[in-house]
Amino acid sequence: MQLYLPIAEIPVNIFVIFAMGGAVGFLSGLFGIGGGFLLTPLLIFSGIPPAVSVATVTTQVVASSASAVVNYWRRKAIDLKLASILLAGGVMGSLVGVVLFDVLQSVGQLDLVISLSYVTFLGTIGGLMLFESVRAIRRRKSGAAPKARKPGQHNWIHGLPLKVRFRRSKLYVSVIPVVGLGAIIGFLGTVLGIGGGFMMVPALIYLLRVPTSIVIGTSLFQILFTMAAATVFHAMGTKTVDIVLAMTLMIGGVIGAQFGARMGQNLRGDQLRLLLALLVLGVGLRFAVDLLLVPDDFYSIAIRKGAGS
Amino acid sequence: MIRLVLLLATLFVCTNAFAQNHHGLNLVTSLSSDMISIQSNFTGTEIVIFGQAQNIVRQPNDPSGYELAIVVQGPPQDITTRRKGRFLGVWVNREAERFQNVPSFYAVASTVDIGHMADRTVLDELGIGLNHINLAVSGSSNVALADRDDFRRAFIRLREETGLYSEQETSIKFLTDTMFRTNIPLPANIPVGDYKVKSFLFHHGEVVSQTEQTLYVAKTGFEQFTFQLAQNYSLVYGLLAVSLAIFTGWLAGVIFRKD
Repeated sequence: MQLYLPIAEIPVNIFVIFAMGGAVGFLSGLFGIGGGFLLTPLLIFSGIPPAVSVATVTTQVVASSASAVVNYWRRKAIDLKLASILLAGGVMGSLVGVVLFDVLQSVGQLDLVISLSYVTFLGTIGGLMLFESVRAIRRRKSGAAPKARKPGQHNWIHGLPLKVRFRRSKLYVSVIPVVGLGAIIGFLGTVLGIGGGFMMVPALIYLLRVPTSIVIGTSLFQILFTMAAATVFHAMGTKTVDIVLAMTLMIGGVIGAQFGARMGQNLRGDQLRLLLALLVLGVGLRFAVDLLLVPDDFYSIAIRKGAGS
Repeated sequence: MIRLVLLLATLFVCTNAFAQNHHGLNLVTSLSSDMISIQSNFTGTEIVIFGQAQNIVRQPNDPSGYELAIVVQGPPQDITTRRKGRFLGVWVNREAERFQNVPSFYAVASTVDIGHMADRTVLDELGIGLNHINLAVSGSSNVALADRDDFRRAFIRLREETGLYSEQETSIKFLTDTMFRTNIPLPANIPVGDYKVKSFLFHHGEVVSQTEQTLYVAKTGFEQFTFQLAQNYSLVYGLLAVSLAIFTGWLAGVIFRKD
C-alpha cells in the first residue's frame, strides 16, 4: 500500500517501512541500542531524502527506547543518578555538535565525515567487542571460572577526584569521566545523527565497570531524553521531521522492541555482545566498502534552494 | 466519436488559452485539469493537454509543415551537482557545480524530433528540449571549463532517472488535421508549486503562435494540514511528535506486559 508522506513529499510502501521499523526495533530491544545507526542508512537507501531520514529517525528512537525503558524500569534495571549525569554531559556535547554540523554542511563534506566516523567508530568498537566477547565465551566453554568482579578492582578512572556513589550500579566513581563520556557521545551523536547507544553501552561496561544488567536500561533512558530534545531541535531547525513516516516506523519499532527485549533476557551477556559486535562491524564494513570501491555513479545531486529543498 | 465529443466538452469546461497572430493562426490549448491535489493516496498522475491549431494545412511527415511542442515546467530550484574523485584512496566529493533557477520538473512533448523543429538558437531561447534547458551556473565553481558539459549531462541524466525530467518526442498526436492531444505523466515525487504549461506552434522552424497556462500542484487535506503545522508551528509540531513517540512506546510497553 502506497502512502504519500507530507514532509518527505514522496509516496512510500507503508509495509516496507513498517517492516524496517520492526526489524530495527527488535535489534534495539535486544541490545539496548537506539538503532539509529541502522535505520538512518536503511531509509536513505530506500529513497527517503537524507535530511528527513536523520530527523525522523530521532523520533522513532524516542518511541522504541520509551518502549524498552518501560520494561527496564519495571525490573528496576535503570540507574537514574548515573543516567542524569550522563544526560547533563550529553546536552553540552550536543551543543558543540550542532555548531560543527553546520560548518561541515556548508563546506559540503558532511557525508564524508559521517562515513569516515562510522567506519572508525563502528570498526573500533565492533572489533573490541568481538575480541572481548569471543574471549569470554571461550573462557566459559573451557570451564574456567569467570572472573568475579572484585570490589577493590580499580583502573585509572577510579583514581579521579569528585567521587559520587551510584548505589544501583554498585559504583563509587568520579563524575568527571561520566560527564565526559556523556559529552563525547552527545557530540558524536549529534554530528552523526544517531543516539549513540552502541558507543555508550561498551563504554559504560569497559570504562566505568557498570554491571551489564544495569547498563542497557540506563543507556536507553539517557538516549530517550537526548533524542526527544533532538526531535524538537530538528522540527524547529530543519523542519524535516515527517510525522507520518515516524508513526509508521514507531509502530513497527515498538512491537519489534518488545520481542527483542524479551529475547535478550534469554541470551547470555557474552552472546549478546558477540552478536552486537558482528552487527556493528557489518555496518562499519558497509560504509568502508562505499568509501573504497569505485562508485557506480560519480555524480550526485542535492537540492539547495526552492521547491522541495 | 464519443471521445471527440468528450474532448470538445472538455475544451469548453476547462481553462483554455488562446493566442492569435497576424497570420490568423490561432492556437488553443486546454488542460484536463488545472489543479493537481496531493493527498495521502497520491502515487503520481498525468495531465492531458488538448488543443487546436486553426487555419493550418498540415501534411503528415512534411518537414516544412506545422509542428508542435509542449513544455511543462515546475517551480525553480537551485541544485548542486557533485562529482566524486579519489583522495588518499577514498572516494569523496571533489568538484561541485551549482545550477541556479533550474526547473524542478521539466517535461517536453513534441510532434517530431525536437532537433528537426527549429534551429538550436531558437530552441535554446525558448528552452524546448532537454538539451536546450537554460542551466545557469553559479559564479564560484571548482569545475574546469572543459568538464562543464559533463556536469550538465550528468545533471540531466540524474533528473531523468528520478522521472522529474522527460522528453517524449512524437508524443503529440493529431486527432484531426487541426486538433491534437498529448499526455504528460506527473510522477509521485513532483514538488508542489505553480507549474507552467507552454505550447508552441512552429512553422518552417519559427514560432508562429504560442500559449501559456498555469497548473497548480498542491497538497490538500491532511497532507496540507501537517505541512502547514510543521512549517508555521514548528515547536508545537516537534512536541507533538515527541509526545506521540513517548505515548506509542509507553502503550506498547503496557500492552506487551507479560506479568
